[in-house]
Amino acid sequence: MSIRVLDPTASTPNGEMRNTPRLATLAGCTVGLLDNGKIRARELLDHVEEILRNQHGVADVVRLRKPDASRPAPAAVVADMRQCDAIISAVGD
Amino acid sequence: MTPSMPSFHSAAYELPDAFEANEFYQQQGWTDGLPIVPPTEERVAACLQAAALTPGDIVGVEGVRQRPITAEKVAINAVMAGCLPAYMPVVVAALRAMCEEPFNLHGSSASTGGSAQFIVVNGPIRTALGMNATHNVFGNGNRANATIGRAVRLVLINVLGCIPGQLDRSTLGHAGKFTFCIAEDEEDSPWTPLAQERGVPAGASAVTVLACEAPRQIMNEWTHDPEEILETFAAEMRHNMLTYSVWSGNYGLVIPKQLRELLVAAAWQKQDMREYLYRSARVRRREWTRVGKANVVARGGGPDQEFTALGTPDDLLVVAAGGPAGGFGAVIPPWFGSKARATTAVIDLPATQGVC
Repeated sequence: MSIRVLDPTASTPNGEMRNTPRLATLAGCTVGLLDNGKIRARELLDHVEEILRNQHGVADVVRLRKPDASRPAPAAVVADMRQCDAIISAVGD
Repeated sequence: MTPSMPSFHSAAYELPDAFEANEFYQQQGWTDGLPIVPPTEERVAACLQAAALTPGDIVGVEGVRQRPITAEKVAINAVMAGCLPAYMPVVVAALRAMCEEPFNLHGSSASTGGSAQFIVVNGPIRTALGMNATHNVFGNGNRANATIGRAVRLVLINVLGCIPGQLDRSTLGHAGKFTFCIAEDEEDSPWTPLAQERGVPAGASAVTVLACEAPRQIMNEWTHDPEEILETFAAEMRHNMLTYSVWSGNYGLVIPKQLRELLVAAAWQKQDMREYLYRSARVRRREWTRVGKANVVARGGGPDQEFTALGTPDDLLVVAAGGPAGGFGAVIPPWFGSKARATTAVIDLPATQGVC
């Protein structure tokens, strides 16, 4: 005699989610830098931008900012992300 | 009554018995650390039927990560938590309230601040389910209180991925993260119940949820004066503002019978208390000097800058609950000011079966 029990987890919401393929190179790419709105995120991303431009040959860097770390990025910020080939999200504090 | 068996979407596992099922769920990381009741199809079906839901019904959607919470997953986790089927509508309503945008479910459950959901149940379902509103109200001892709150936590763990060290980044957390659900003592209080103050019609059942830090217990047995009683609560709110977070938001105030009777004797209503504490629970930036935070006194508006615990008097949630003896009370601080607001949802009960 056995019992039949159900899985409590929901690991694949909305049908299917998958990772975006990794970029082969950052050279010539547009990279978005998302500041989560906490203190010092800007300084951290300034440094990241410098590395991306000087060492990885990115074509452009788009600076994005969430007004509030505890809430989702506003729709306009999400729309701005769409022009980017990659996004780096930074957590300042 | 044998519920008809709905068609489930979840993976199913055949296990030798309930002990092995518990071990399997523990090993998978599908619990809060405590043992679970195996969610058999029959028990899950009974929970769904008690709330008149089908497996695919969407109870709510966590908006940031776009995670839908299906009735099937809620029922599975409710069974695991030890809920009776009749508790299911309360669990569903709590999750619906938490998926409202102002509650900020993602932020409050992922934050290092480590909040729990304080769940307050109002209306006739409290007595129908035998919920506790008196002795040891924050503590152990009542199945409905304990398992409704636990079911909500298990949904966060298993459906939303609020696993400590993963999405749940709490530095400390607190004991309320196992369960933190109470009923208001409406029978023994002349005050307007919390849900009615928040717009729910009298006679309806509802839950109110607040992302909160651990409750801070106060005591004042040395006065009958309502302002002196409330000053003790105000002092704790000011203390929280200085030692934890200064930002204004929803504070919970739980008032047991002994202090409640003194306030009632002086004809104080909840609104009088809200207005008093809005005026009194304030600090100035310079007070941070005495709690080791002198470095931030000169920032912002400078040493005389004033902060209020409550953004408006209505930010205070006053709940009549607790055992009959002892001049105690509790202040329940918000997780992070107004970044998560208390929300209230009516409990939908199937028309054909009353509250149970």
